[in-house]
Amino acid sequence: MNARAELIERVALRRREQLGPLSDGAYQELFNDVKGDVERFVETPAEEALLLVARALDRHEEARKDEDLMDDEAFFSSRAKRMSRLGRDCGAALAIDPTCFDAALLAVLAKDQDPDWILEPLLKLEQRAISTLAAGPLPADAWDDLTLRPLLRIKAAVARTCLDSARYRMAAEKAEEVMALAPTDALGMRHTCALALARLEDESAFDALDVRFSRQGSAWEHLARTILLYKLGRMGAARRALGGYARLCEGGAYALLKPVMVDTYLPDRPEAPALSFAEATLAVHEADPIVCDVPDFVAWAQNQRDCFFAAQDFARRNNYDW
Amino acid sequence: MAFDAKWEDYQRMALRFAFSLKDMEPLAAAKEFVSFGRRYAQERDSLPQTDAERAFHLVAEATTLVDYQLPFATDEEAETIIPRAHRLLDEALTLDPRCYDAARMAVAANCPTFESYYDYLCEMEPEVRAYCEEARNAALLDVSGERAVEVANIALHPHLRWLAALASKALICGRNREALRFCKDALELDPADTADTRFTAALAYAKLEDEQGLDQLESRCRKLPHPYGTNDAWMLLSRLALAHKRRNLPLARQVLARIAELYPNAALTLARQKELPDGVFARLAMPPFSEDELIVAASEATVLTQEGRDSLGRGAFGSWLLQECLSIATREQLEEIREEIDLTALSSRREDDQGNKEGWR
Repeated sequence: MNARAELIERVALRRREQLGPLSDGAYQELFNDVKGDVERFVETPAEEALLLVARALDRHEEARKDEDLMDDEAFFSSRAKRMSRLGRDCGAALAIDPTCFDAALLAVLAKDQDPDWILEPLLKLEQRAISTLAAGPLPADAWDDLTLRPLLRIKAAVARTCLDSARYRMAAEKAEEVMALAPTDALGMRHTCALALARLEDESAFDALDVRFSRQGSAWEHLARTILLYKLGRMGAARRALGGYARLCEGGAYALLKPVMVDTYLPDRPEAPALSFAEATLAVHEADPIVCDVPDFVAWAQNQRDCFFAAQDFARRNNYDW
Repeated sequence: MAFDAKWEDYQRMALRFAFSLKDMEPLAAAKEFVSFGRRYAQERDSLPQTDAERAFHLVAEATTLVDYQLPFATDEEAETIIPRAHRLLDEALTLDPRCYDAARMAVAANCPTFESYYDYLCEMEPEVRAYCEEARNAALLDVSGERAVEVANIALHPHLRWLAALASKALICGRNREALRFCKDALELDPADTADTRFTAALAYAKLEDEQGLDQLESRCRKLPHPYGTNDAWMLLSRLALAHKRRNLPLARQVLARIAELYPNAALTLARQKELPDGVFARLAMPPFSEDELIVAASEATVLTQEGRDSLGRGAFGSWLLQECLSIATREQLEEIREEIDLTALSSRREDDQGNKEGWR
């Protein structure tokens, strides 16, 4: 979530409304002014709260920077500290605007509890957000309405939490809900859905989803397809799918064979270029509970020449451990 | 039901003995048969038998060692049990190279991964099927009367066990649709489900979150002449998992209460969720509704309990189940659970949750 960018847009839109009809050029000028110093233009409690969220996320990101070099103990202590700080910061935002749902969502996630435990508070939050934000008629794509984005983010967090707490049908259904509300799928719910459908071994639904998004292909989709075919025992097809994943996703093979820890999404999936190593790293992280359920999957992947050599080559080119 | 190797050995010998008396006068044959039990127990070698019966007897002995003694043995004892079992299985295969139970058990011990054992089972299945079906058809031709049915049924047992092993390994390997396919094969061959593959099928439907499939399985099981009705531990654990997955916690608690009514010490068993080695010959034969049966079912259900991210390392459903068991356990059971399981992580989580709720008020 880019809170600052959303804040700028919200403030600019509010200003336009206050000023009356503006030409495109005039609005662009206004937008640039706001962008130059958004804090000066913040007026309403909702904007103030969102500003606090943006600051909290910046601060949190800053605190993470030095963690790469820490040992485990120092890392977990630093992590606990920045998470509880984030929780407090979001509490402050909520004190200004109790309907700042991004702050509320972050506050739940910052508690850093197991998925099975945060599902309940997330579902309650979703209900509150629906009755507060989505009372009137909804646009064709809810993502276009900035005020509805927090609701979409909450629903997306619910879908991911379902996946993480082994509720695959619910995860797929919730992801479908978000895609129905926001068909351009800016939050990438199709990826969560693909993983859930692979775990449920539901090939026809998986294919239908793929077709719906014009077979765009992503690290999630390639990896999920490989897992699906492997589970169905179609080993020739699974090998080809793995080969495709390893070839099309930069460093995908390496990400799968040498998984790394990925921190909690706050509040949503970080952005990553399509089919990049960063995307593959996120996909492998999200797929982890599903991969664990297929105990010999990674060993099998490692034994496939394409995948093994792709991973080895990627490690050599980037000076990564192998 | 389940397969009991010792009982099957007895049955095979009895049928062979009866077959050897087929040309006698009925009265004389009946008289002769009176001595069978004693001779089986004391002078086995004096009874008529082929190499197939001799081989199966060795399988039964190996089963006692591997499935019933090894899990409770010390490391030292295990060192003698394992080579003994291997010798028995090797001898069985020398006597009868088509003793597929022995072949399967010998390979199970030597496979480094679930997958390699599963691949072996898949590869060999058509051969086992062909052999067992041939043996069954031969029995139906050679033997007359009701005995023919019994002989024919027993001839299929190695294949049924093969399918049951395939289904249970498929489940462990995360191939739930494959597991259901093997269960279906077994149920078609043997509608009475001697191999209890419906237990594995129930878990696979829960894994696929296929409530409808589970309902259909249940109505199919209703017709079976066995003591469970539809209340076996596997079906109930599958329902429990589905209710948890659907977040229908009142229903989940109801099902848990039902399990606790039917199975002694259920709170303890389901708090432990202990994973035991699977029976190598077949699923361990335990009395219906015994504590041991629930232990076996809970072990197989770890494919459900252990799924999902969870800081206690038990899986999402597993941690919830532990928590629920604490609230239905008797004081004695609670003490035992506390002795065995470190609950500090759970209680600290609980406090967090309390804070969470207050925060939301």
